[in-house]
This record gives sequence, C-alpha cells and structure tokens, in this order.
Amino acid sequence: MGQRRSRVSATKIEAQMAPMIDVVFQLLIFFMLTLKIIPIEGDFNINMPLGKQATESPDVPIPPIKVRLTANADGTLAGVQFRQVSLGNDNLAFDRLNAEIGKLVGRRDNPYLDELEVEIDADYNLHYRHVIAAVSASTGYVSPQTGQVIRYIEKVKFAPPRRPAG
Amino acid sequence: MRYKQQQSTVLEPDMTPMIDVVFQLIAFFMLVTNFEQTQADERVKLPSDQLARPPEVAREKVLVVNIGFNRNREGEKTDPQAYIFEGDELIPVLDFGRRLKEEQRVANALYGPDGVKEMTIEIRADAETPTGLIQELIKLSQENGFEKFSLRAKQLVK
Repeated sequence: MGQRRSRVSATKIEAQMAPMIDVVFQLLIFFMLTLKIIPIEGDFNINMPLGKQATESPDVPIPPIKVRLTANADGTLAGVQFRQVSLGNDNLAFDRLNAEIGKLVGRRDNPYLDELEVEIDADYNLHYRHVIAAVSASTGYVSPQTGQVIRYIEKVKFAPPRRPAG
Repeated sequence: MRYKQQQSTVLEPDMTPMIDVVFQLIAFFMLVTNFEQTQADERVKLPSDQLARPPEVAREKVLVVNIGFNRNREGEKTDPQAYIFEGDELIPVLDFGRRLKEEQRVANALYGPDGVKEMTIEIRADAETPTGLIQELIKLSQENGFEKFSLRAKQLVK
C-alpha cells in the first residue's frame, strides 16, 4: 500500500502589527500628557526637638552661633548680623556670612565641629528666601574646584518667632 | 503596439524603524516622568539655592507641607495671606495644629509610639512667605511631637 504524504507547505505567519502600534501610541500619548518638568529640589535638615528651642542648655558646651536677620516693612532684607557685627544687606552679605562662619569653624578637623550649631534669629515678616540663603551660608559651600558641596555645620535651629507687637 | 502587463503590487512600508523610534520615546518619557513628587504643589514658588541637594537616601516617613499664596496667571499675589495648600483646601498656617494632631495620631497608629519622632516634616514654602509663619509651623509641629524638619528649595545650578 502506497503511503501518501500530505505535503505541508511552508507558510509565513505574519504578526499583526496594528494592535501593537495602537497600544504603543496610547502609551506614548499617556507619558507625553503626564510629563511634568519639575526642577530638582533639595533640602536643608533641621532638628528641633521640643524644649531645645532658643534655650541654651547647660549640657551643650558650645553656645550656638547666632545669625540675626532683620527685615524691612515689606519683608525684604534689612541686614545680616553675625556676632553683633553688621554684614550689610546686599547680595554679598551672605557671602560675608559664609566667610565669617568658615573662619570660625576653622579647619575641617576641628574637634568641636560636630557640636557646633547655628541659630537663625529672623524678623517675623522676613521673606523666607533670605532664611534659606542664611541657612545655606551658615552650613557650607560649593567647592569651586569640584562643584561638590562641603558642609561644615550640620545643626541648624531657629530662635523663637519674633511676633509683631499687638 | 504591445502593452506590457503590469502586476499590481501592494507596497508594505517597513515598520521596524518607526517602532524602534516609538519605543525609544516611550523609554525616554518613562524615565523622565516623576511619579514621586506627587505631593509637591505647583503653586508654591520655592526659593533656590546652590547647596540645596536632594537627600542621598530617600526618607520613608515624610509629611509634606506646602505653604504659598494665591497667585494669578502672571504670578502676582492676589491675597497677601499665606496658606497651607491641601488639595483645594487652603488652611491658615496658625490653624494647622488640628491637622498636625491628626497626623500624629496616624503616625503613632502606623509606626508605633516613636513613629512621630521619626517622621520628617518637609516644608515647601513660597520664597515670599514670612519667616515667622515657618517658625509658627515648626512650633506647632513640635507641640505635636514632631522633631525632624527639612526646608525644601530648588537646586540652583550656576
């Protein structure tokens, strides 16, 4: 008995591209619509347990470095004072503050470096941007050579709010 | 005259390069889309500073507080009073203590009695917010057991 072999012809199966392209375009449109370009945000850490605000505890051997920020009536910066010395109110005031604190901190292997603390004492109506500038100037600088942030003081706290009279 | 009979041919465009490009675009948008900063409020015009760098390790227990002003499309203040934004709700800063008390309860329930101490309050405040209000917020938070704070700012690249 002669065997008959059915001849299977080689057929090319073509994948359906249309649904995949549909889905891919949907995804693309979704990501395009939900995209929000947000600038990179950073932060400054502040540790302020209750009871330590503006109280010089006898346990702390080194008193905080006080930075006083005064404001004009419209909230702009009237002056920066560091250890009762006025550093001005121009753009360079915070650079001067940074230099003064740098001098005070001295070398980076200062044994008291970890215990140093900055206390920001600002007028009530002062714009917050100046406080950020003061915190930044008090805690470190950006190395011009490497672009890395060098921090010399990690501890920052606020004095009690100076509420306006009445 | 003899006409040469032309065969009708269906031209199939090559889809491969297009799919390649589209996948590249999807990969790009997936990478740049930031799903983390959902708590950041766009109405807050943060101050900027060179030293403001993102934390090296992401914080786990965070409460984000957005403080800002009602502004028009040109960015001018329409109300001199600063508010805490919670969705569409505007809460005066000095009235935020009640909300902090609720957060304290939730933190204690979720993380135990020390949960509230481990939680960081991320303050995202408008550059023109009076500093006194930030201090009041910190004081209210301290009264409710919070100890860790972080002041957010845009990273300024020179």
